[in-house]
Amino acid sequence: MNPELRRNLWLELPLRRMAFMTGALVLIFFAASLSPAVWGGPGDAAVLFYYLIVVMWGSRNAALSVVGEIRMRTWDGQRLSSLSAGQMVWGKLFGSTLYNWFGGAICLIVILADTFNRQGAGDAAIALAYYPIIGVIAQSAALLASLIAAGRDKSHSRLDVFLYQMAGLFAALVAYWIWTASDPSSAFLRHRPDLLGIGWWGMRTEGHVFLLASLAAFAGWLLVGCHRMMRVELMMRNGPLIWVGFLAFVGGYIAGFDGVYLARAGVRFGNAEMRLLQAGVAFAVLGYLMVFLEPKNSVLYRWMAGQFAKGKIGSGLSALQSWTMAYFAVLMCAIALIVFRGAAGDGTGQAQIAAMLGFFTRDLALVMLIGMSARLHGDLFGVVMLAGLYLLLPMILQGVQLSGALVLFEPREIAPVWLSPAIAWSEGVLALVFAAASIKRADNRRNEE
Amino acid sequence: MIDVCDLVYEYPARRALKGVSLSVAPRTITALVGPNGAGKTTLLRCIAALFVPYSGRVTIDGLDTRASPRQIHGLLGYLPDFYGLYDGLSVRRILTYAALSHGIDRDAAPAAADKAADRVGLTDRLEVTAGELSRGLRQRLAIGQTIVHEPKVLLLDEPAAGLDPQARRDLSALLKSLKDAGMTLVVSSHILSELEDYCSEMVIVENGVVAGGQSVKVRDVERPRYMLEIAEARGDLCEFLDARAGIDVIEADEYHALIVHTRNPAARARLIRDLVAAGFEVSSFGESSKAMEDAYFRNIGGGAA
Repeated sequence: MNPELRRNLWLELPLRRMAFMTGALVLIFFAASLSPAVWGGPGDAAVLFYYLIVVMWGSRNAALSVVGEIRMRTWDGQRLSSLSAGQMVWGKLFGSTLYNWFGGAICLIVILADTFNRQGAGDAAIALAYYPIIGVIAQSAALLASLIAAGRDKSHSRLDVFLYQMAGLFAALVAYWIWTASDPSSAFLRHRPDLLGIGWWGMRTEGHVFLLASLAAFAGWLLVGCHRMMRVELMMRNGPLIWVGFLAFVGGYIAGFDGVYLARAGVRFGNAEMRLLQAGVAFAVLGYLMVFLEPKNSVLYRWMAGQFAKGKIGSGLSALQSWTMAYFAVLMCAIALIVFRGAAGDGTGQAQIAAMLGFFTRDLALVMLIGMSARLHGDLFGVVMLAGLYLLLPMILQGVQLSGALVLFEPREIAPVWLSPAIAWSEGVLALVFAAASIKRADNRRNEE
Repeated sequence: MIDVCDLVYEYPARRALKGVSLSVAPRTITALVGPNGAGKTTLLRCIAALFVPYSGRVTIDGLDTRASPRQIHGLLGYLPDFYGLYDGLSVRRILTYAALSHGIDRDAAPAAADKAADRVGLTDRLEVTAGELSRGLRQRLAIGQTIVHEPKVLLLDEPAAGLDPQARRDLSALLKSLKDAGMTLVVSSHILSELEDYCSEMVIVENGVVAGGQSVKVRDVERPRYMLEIAEARGDLCEFLDARAGIDVIEADEYHALIVHTRNPAARARLIRDLVAAGFEVSSFGESSKAMEDAYFRNIGGGAA
């Protein structure tokens, strides 16, 4: 047995705790059977308590599985053990939540019996798949959030743990929504007949099948993410391939949708361009997400710069952060789109795409700069800065009848056509120069010590 | 066993190690000393492959910490300054878990746990939970779980902090026994007197560098330091000792001499006899107990006062 699982078994499942959980749930189901008007019967009570025990409480325990070790000062000992990253992830994910799964299993038995009686064996089989999956999704998302935070050397207050738990609950909520929405008889699909068949890479797929397959795929990526972050905690190096694979998956997944929404929004691109644009937007979202999630470590950047300066390109690239790869993916899409637009003789479209890329560059560089400079809450300042640039300042400018100045903050169709990208790139380059100068200044300071 | 070459480590706000180089021979106990904030813990964590150095390299048994961190983790045991235990588990379960998690197979793990418990003197408390142990016993248990897999290298950060005199003495005996069993130990502390008991080498870290540029040999098992005192002043004390074969005079004045001499009892008896025969009124002759402290203050910058 996985030693981490065994240790958790010792800690989490002593007989008295098992007896308590069993007794409490039996009492609840008994009460539910006596007053179905209040509880909706034992089956409904079991569903409610399954979500409470496995999803809500379980995601908290999963979030605490690493954070708790850090707090108890046992994490170093675990990092130095011979346990592989895979063993550690499984041991933590299912070990720290053993008690929750024990209670969940009792609830699941009641849920299955109730579903079987009311809806038959087919639905009971589906419930048997769905409930464990949603538990795993919630808990693995919470574990992933806590591992990302551990990698950033964050403090681990109760509020932090609550936030990691919320990440798990959010993932579970999305999964729940997809699951309920994917039911062909659900209110959602009844009102959205266009989604009964989803167009993806030119194929028409049944909506619920597609949504469930998507759910399974992203749940798998969550587990991969936990494994990768655990490797980092165990001081193992992660090559870029898995992240590049994830980018390719997300790009391919998003690009696959027939661009109904963009067409409705007035984008008049050809099929290939539309798919490129969708992939590019997905990469940009991942770029923004990762630049906030990854540590803004000036020491690492200086080290990388040093490696490149010494000609150790491979060594320097080995420390490349995920957001840089997302940036390059955006860059590739943008260049391809500019070429496409050029072929179509659409100079304005080219300028818009170039301007978007310029602002994207500026944003990432500014978030980096603020993250490196601020001692505390750098990411929060970064979010505030982006909100200021994209919401507050444009609103003020419009309020004072200076809409012309909006070109400073967002891509605009103005004459001459090159002005918007020129401004965007000026800001982007300036932000990059400031970020690089900040790293250089730190380097000089250290060398003087 | 441990080689550190020009090691630089940086935190985002400061450079903690500024080119540390040192070498630790196998089967020795090396003291890592220095003022608070000097970089001792950072150095230990770099050696433990828990920190990736900015530049320079650390090798343990020929393995580079940057290239092979996981292999190095398997070679060593590390007890941080602030460690934790699973308070709800018994001593036996904690040691068994430590054995299993260090790759000892299921059949051999109980025996490994028993052996570790025996080494740290917890055999009679195997069924007691960690939460019920005293501070000294918790310390032993913490060391027990770091040695359960028989590591080649043991890194201990402030292991004696907060221990009572008896527990410190026990710890000292335990560390000596681990060295005798073939382990290489690096012990960080700022309590020099306790290190004196078991360390043969000392590395002084001050402001992120090794003071004096290298480790200091503070104790030679075969040729220890002896302090000689005479009751009446004699200007020729140093000259007399220098003239004798097998004696190295470290420092001397008219009343005292700090010398290095063989541990052989017969040779020591002969020296005392010759001193008395030469008219020196020997009032005291014994192994120096302040070798480490002397070496520390000789090497540390500005600390001589």
